[in-house]
Amino acid sequence: MFNNKKVNIFLIIVGIIIFIFLPRFVSGYWVRVITTIFMYAVISQGINLMSGYMGYLPFGNAMFFGVGAYITAIGMGKGLSFLAVLPLAALTAILVSILFGLPVLRLRGHYFAIATIGMSGALLSVVQNATEITGGAMGTTLPIIDKSPEVTYNYFYLAMLALMVITTLTIYLIIKSKFGFGIRSIKANEEAANSMGINTTYHKVIAWAISALFTSIAGALYAYWMSFIGPEEVFDVMIAVNTIVIMLIGGAGSILGPIIGAFVISLLSEVVWSTFLEYHLAVLGITIIIIVFFVPKGITGAIADFVKKRELRLRKKVSV
Amino acid sequence: MEENNIILTIKSLSKYFGALKAVDEVSFEVKRGEILGLIGPNGAGKTTITNVVTGTYPKTSGSVIFEDTDISNLKPYQIARKGLTRTFQVVKPLIGMTVEENVLVGSLYGRDKRNTDMKNASKRAREIIKLVGLESKKDSLVSDITLPDLKKMEFARVLAMEPEVLFLDEVMAGLNPAEVEEASILVKRVRREKELTIVYIEHIMKAVMGISDRIVVLHHGRKIVEGTPQEVVNNSAVIEAYLGKRYAKEVNNEG
Repeated sequence: MFNNKKVNIFLIIVGIIIFIFLPRFVSGYWVRVITTIFMYAVISQGINLMSGYMGYLPFGNAMFFGVGAYITAIGMGKGLSFLAVLPLAALTAILVSILFGLPVLRLRGHYFAIATIGMSGALLSVVQNATEITGGAMGTTLPIIDKSPEVTYNYFYLAMLALMVITTLTIYLIIKSKFGFGIRSIKANEEAANSMGINTTYHKVIAWAISALFTSIAGALYAYWMSFIGPEEVFDVMIAVNTIVIMLIGGAGSILGPIIGAFVISLLSEVVWSTFLEYHLAVLGITIIIIVFFVPKGITGAIADFVKKRELRLRKKVSV
Repeated sequence: MEENNIILTIKSLSKYFGALKAVDEVSFEVKRGEILGLIGPNGAGKTTITNVVTGTYPKTSGSVIFEDTDISNLKPYQIARKGLTRTFQVVKPLIGMTVEENVLVGSLYGRDKRNTDMKNASKRAREIIKLVGLESKKDSLVSDITLPDLKKMEFARVLAMEPEVLFLDEVMAGLNPAEVEEASILVKRVRREKELTIVYIEHIMKAVMGISDRIVVLHHGRKIVEGTPQEVVNNSAVIEAYLGKRYAKEVNNEG
């Protein structure tokens, strides 16, 4: 077991190093595609913490992406630097999650999911109508970095990679901690969790705040990267839907699930898009249905099942 | 036992669901270290009392005094951390986790503050699993074990919380006679070793007689009798509640 863990850590470090140097070997187009994959992995990781581990599906999680993006745009518009505005963006998203979370996290199952969509829609509407601050439905621009596009894109590639690694590591440590057992108990049986001394409200609110934190940083980076954002784009419910699909395909409640899912879905989408230009969404949709049918536990779940079965078979052979 | 040995006092506790008086002005005391049987026919209000005392349902009126503090307005998790815990009539395992992880959650969030440390808590969980005899199943997922083992797991899980008072809600339900016997022995042994106070809820008279020091009988949400198992079993009101008026008369005439 111990050996296995060492091998895993080694493989992960090798993986990170490969990704750090990858931009030197691929085209600018692929650098941008992979940056988006990292971004989706981060958002999906936030949904994984809420849904995969705690059992609360936050369908409106894109609102934190939007909050992060807009606070960054507004702050930088007022002349603040990106690094100064980043904590503000994160803090605002956390405040929104706590403010909405305290009442809404009392709802369970579908009701929670639906309520978060409503909240996301409400925020979108506020951003669209507060024209003087946000630029309204027309969107708003951010300062452009005064470097060549290639350097800029590499910069965002590395920043998004770092964010993905930090997000994943943080959530991994949370899950292994006492707090992690608390939120996993909420998914397993909230009533039992409550009677076992777990303050369920506190756990749910904090988990959502953590989810909001990472999602909003992804939004902040995205806004700076794009240097132009529109409200319908960053508050799009489809951002959450896509990342939920990514989590399901990769494996809900598995720490590498969102990353694997983000790569599989995005690369699949690239392949499908380049071969079936007109029917691209239909083909992609059908492919996702097929995957969910045959690999219901996601890719990581299927691998775990396979390893377990093989171990059982080996054990049987030994005992015979 | 002396008077100051009361650990839990239930004072005119009521719980109404609309017009239904599920628990109606019930009062009784639980002495430190005893096993108190709480019995009554189905629908007598046994589980409702458990739910109100442990905070799952809000009370309608009355109070619950646990070690000099009124806990009747606290949330379930606060009451559990104070050292008053319960098992469920229908087992509520944490699906997706192993037996050991289930017990670990109990010890992490229990009364003993030292167990917030993962290492201490794991050690504690393994000790408790050994105590209830589930060692061979500790790495099994709770979805893969049998009902008697699930009941043991749930018992281990509440024990890991280091409670002072434990409400066992029909732990014997669904077990066959041999398993009931085994479970009774386990409960008695653990009570002695851990110096626990147990409120033992059961609707099968036979199961509760051999294990309880005292018994409180409920009927239609009210307390009808309180006393030793012998006193209770010969009480005409109890016989009437369980078997009907005619049978009670016959027994009285014979006696």
